[in-house]
Amino acid sequence: MAEKKKTSRKAAAPLRWLKRGVLGGSKELSPENERYDSPGKLAFKRFFRRPSACVATAVLICLFLFVFIGPIFDPFVPGYTEPMMQNVSPGYTMMSVPSELADSVKEISSYGKFSVGVNNEGKAFLWGYTGFQSGDESLEIPEEVANDKIAHIAAGADHIVAISESGKVYAWGNKRNGQFEGIGSLTESMVEEEPEELLTNGVDASQVKQLVCGNQMSAIVMNDGKFYIWGNKANGASNLNSLMRPGVGRIEKLVFTSSKVLGMTQDGKLLLLNAGSFVNYESKDGIVETMEYVGERKVVDIAAIGSSAAVLLEDGEILVLGGNANLNVPQIPEGDKAVALSGGAKHFSLLTEQGRVYCWGDNTLGQTDTPDSMTEAGAADQLFSVGFQNYAVKDGKLVEKWGHSGYLMGTDELGRSIFNRVLNGGRMTMTIGAVAVIVSSIIGIIIGCVSGYFGGKVDMALMRVTEIFGSIPFLPFAIILSSIFQGGEVDIFGMTITVTEDRRIFIIMIILGLLSWTGLARLVRGQVLAEREKEFVTAAKSMGIRERRIAFKHILPNVISVILVSMTLDFASCMLTESSLSYLGFGVKLPRPTWGNMLNGCNDAIVIQSYWWRWVFPALFLSVAVICINVIGDTLRDVLDPKSEVDR
Amino acid sequence: MLLVFVILSMLLYLIYNLIPFNRANAIAEQYKAAYKNNPEGLEKLKLEKEIELGLKKYDENGEPQKVGIFMRYLGWLGLAPVNGQYNGILQGNFGISYQYNERPVLEVLAEPMQNTMFLNIFSVILALAVTIPLGIFCAVHRGSKRDSAIQVFTIVGYSIPFFIIAILFIWLFASTLGWFPVSGMKTPGSDYTGMQKFLDQLYYMALPLIVMTFGSLGGMTRYVRASMTEALTMDCVRTARAKGVKEKVVVYSHAWRNALIPVITLVIGWFISIFAGSIMLENIFGLNGMGKILIQSLTANDLDMVLCLELFYASIGLLGNLIVDIAYGIADPRIRVNK
Repeated sequence: MAEKKKTSRKAAAPLRWLKRGVLGGSKELSPENERYDSPGKLAFKRFFRRPSACVATAVLICLFLFVFIGPIFDPFVPGYTEPMMQNVSPGYTMMSVPSELADSVKEISSYGKFSVGVNNEGKAFLWGYTGFQSGDESLEIPEEVANDKIAHIAAGADHIVAISESGKVYAWGNKRNGQFEGIGSLTESMVEEEPEELLTNGVDASQVKQLVCGNQMSAIVMNDGKFYIWGNKANGASNLNSLMRPGVGRIEKLVFTSSKVLGMTQDGKLLLLNAGSFVNYESKDGIVETMEYVGERKVVDIAAIGSSAAVLLEDGEILVLGGNANLNVPQIPEGDKAVALSGGAKHFSLLTEQGRVYCWGDNTLGQTDTPDSMTEAGAADQLFSVGFQNYAVKDGKLVEKWGHSGYLMGTDELGRSIFNRVLNGGRMTMTIGAVAVIVSSIIGIIIGCVSGYFGGKVDMALMRVTEIFGSIPFLPFAIILSSIFQGGEVDIFGMTITVTEDRRIFIIMIILGLLSWTGLARLVRGQVLAEREKEFVTAAKSMGIRERRIAFKHILPNVISVILVSMTLDFASCMLTESSLSYLGFGVKLPRPTWGNMLNGCNDAIVIQSYWWRWVFPALFLSVAVICINVIGDTLRDVLDPKSEVDR
Repeated sequence: MLLVFVILSMLLYLIYNLIPFNRANAIAEQYKAAYKNNPEGLEKLKLEKEIELGLKKYDENGEPQKVGIFMRYLGWLGLAPVNGQYNGILQGNFGISYQYNERPVLEVLAEPMQNTMFLNIFSVILALAVTIPLGIFCAVHRGSKRDSAIQVFTIVGYSIPFFIIAILFIWLFASTLGWFPVSGMKTPGSDYTGMQKFLDQLYYMALPLIVMTFGSLGGMTRYVRASMTEALTMDCVRTARAKGVKEKVVVYSHAWRNALIPVITLVIGWFISIFAGSIMLENIFGLNGMGKILIQSLTANDLDMVLCLELFYASIGLLGNLIVDIAYGIADPRIRVNK
């Protein structure tokens, strides 16, 4: 038959030429008018003639690339939390040192979210995230401090202490946990109260050697070895009693880890003060007692981070004690020697005699990405590694700063970057949506085709099945199904399945697919029923083509437009269902993010009001994605339906 | 339809029994302290409870045997005896909620069901009151600027899930403007009566109601518009116009009647889905509704409660189908259900 067609066409061509030769080519038959686009191409053209569809497609493609390529560069780290960075608002303010301070740095201090500094003129500065704290206390520099000349300043976890040149000790911020001025809302045994003489008389500012703040603790060390220490000792310095004992010696320096206080005396003695995990040192030859290892050697400097402390000995050796004892201390070039240590929240840094700077420790937020110029001789003469940032100072001027500058979209209640979670959550949501749609489409197409093509009893039976599935209440049923696969072992008709998180997600995809195919099946059946009666099917039948081939090869392409539209719209609804499930806690479980479960913790008034970035971004991304898909689906329906052209 | 219902209930029962949870064990656990020195006594208690719950029964030799899941299903349905007694759903016994002090499920559900029904029906009425005129308006003025604006608005409306709308509205109306309470059912500590109580409840229900109505606007309006557009191109409409019938009559009498059928299908289908949607809302707003109880019961493994609720949702769906069929007949005389 195919050959016959060809010959007839060939025969017709000369006739047409003859006709045209005699009568002349009419204008209507010019090539532009004669060219006839295939329906697919036509639909394609019409699709892109609509600006809304173009925009939606572009946005969706960008989103796709964003969530599928993005995680390669910013992968999801299971179990990662950063308690010091909880609920930080979006912005890159954490490293923006005011220029007035950068020109003449005296001191810079930080514990995590915000930093303070004072310049040589005695002006105090504050930068970083100082927004909504747990109470109404503002961290902004008070009027009286701004008007006074400040000599020293230090920032704790949620309070700031400053000493003016006249010796007045200012403190502001949160004081409900006994950080300053009394015991706050805690009991007396938990708090070391701020000494009365500091509140009334202040100190001799010229004699202050060090002002340091820790986790709700503060301390002042004087030149003569005297010290004042106060704050929430139950939380920030559980070994404080060892320090308060008589006979500790004249204190040179005190440092705070997140829960302990350590120090050194003026004659170079290390004060471990019974701080549990610091008593032992993991040397190359195995674990030894720290004090024994140090022996007669004098301590030059000491620094602390959240869980560890670093000790610099007079011969240049650096011991890292506690928590992350295996931190790799950097190699210092021959002939140079470390002279000072500095500790941030999770990383250490050291300054050498010749002015080189090296950082080591946790680098999750880029704290130790030291610029190459810093490892050259004479790069800096003063170093402040505070919180998650490093500031190198030379001749009183800030020469270089590096570290963590902030979050694009803020952080959630566990200190995880919202940006990272939106990225990885989007991938999860889209994957689940896509797989669910594929599953449901396969089932729907097969059942619809078979039922529509064969009709009769097959149709009856299949339509009953469809009816049953169709009347299953979707969300309740999805909830009940996924609650069965909560985890652990599930016994299904004798088979025991261990449900891991990955498998759970897969099961959720299948569940969504299994519950949402009925609409498509009905649609396809209806279309197939209509197509089945057309002539080309009769022709195919008369040629003896197998039934299955007719159903899937001849009829299916004619209903593909309906399927395409329905798949697009189903994709959106599957994404929404997944989000709803996850939002209720029956979909993908935390900590693995999806756009739905990121909103899970957000339905309380405080979060909605004060931590807007925690719900705005996932909600925005989810909405935009779904809107785009729906716009594309709607436009597709319009352009693929020949009738709609008549309508317009 | 009855067959579908039976199959559905069976499916539900089978699926839910896949959960590795033994109520008898859980009950026995409570008495663990009392039977500290008497593990055999604990075992005996467990067995007693299992028999009481119909999980096991004595065979001819007096040995306890596990009851098959199908028999248990029949027992639950009330077609097979449990402990020599027919006492299942068919006898009106939906079981006991262990989560709520072992009260009968129906008794526990009475009030939440009222709340859910109120919320759903009220929001459906509200939504219909807005969407039908809006949809007709859009269809009549198709292509105009106002229509395009509404189209943009509706596509956004039906793409955004309920919970995002809820969060947005809480932020806007409860947190920022302070017009409505954030969550809850009644003013804490109040003991209003009569009218005052009703008004208080309405005040707390207002925001969920608004969210629910708002969330349904988009999809409904689009649907009404689409079917109305289709109806307006019908020959009868053209004829009516040609013979000089007033435009109002053409739209509301000729076209609307024809557009009604797809709208009815949608309204019912949407009514079902809105019950699912209210699961979300009740959890967000802390309303004492069926959805909230469903989630609570699922986490507490309260079998009878969950099954009863699932059955309720399933029967709402089936009932919806039935109503659609009947409504077709009323709306369109050409279709008769029992033809």
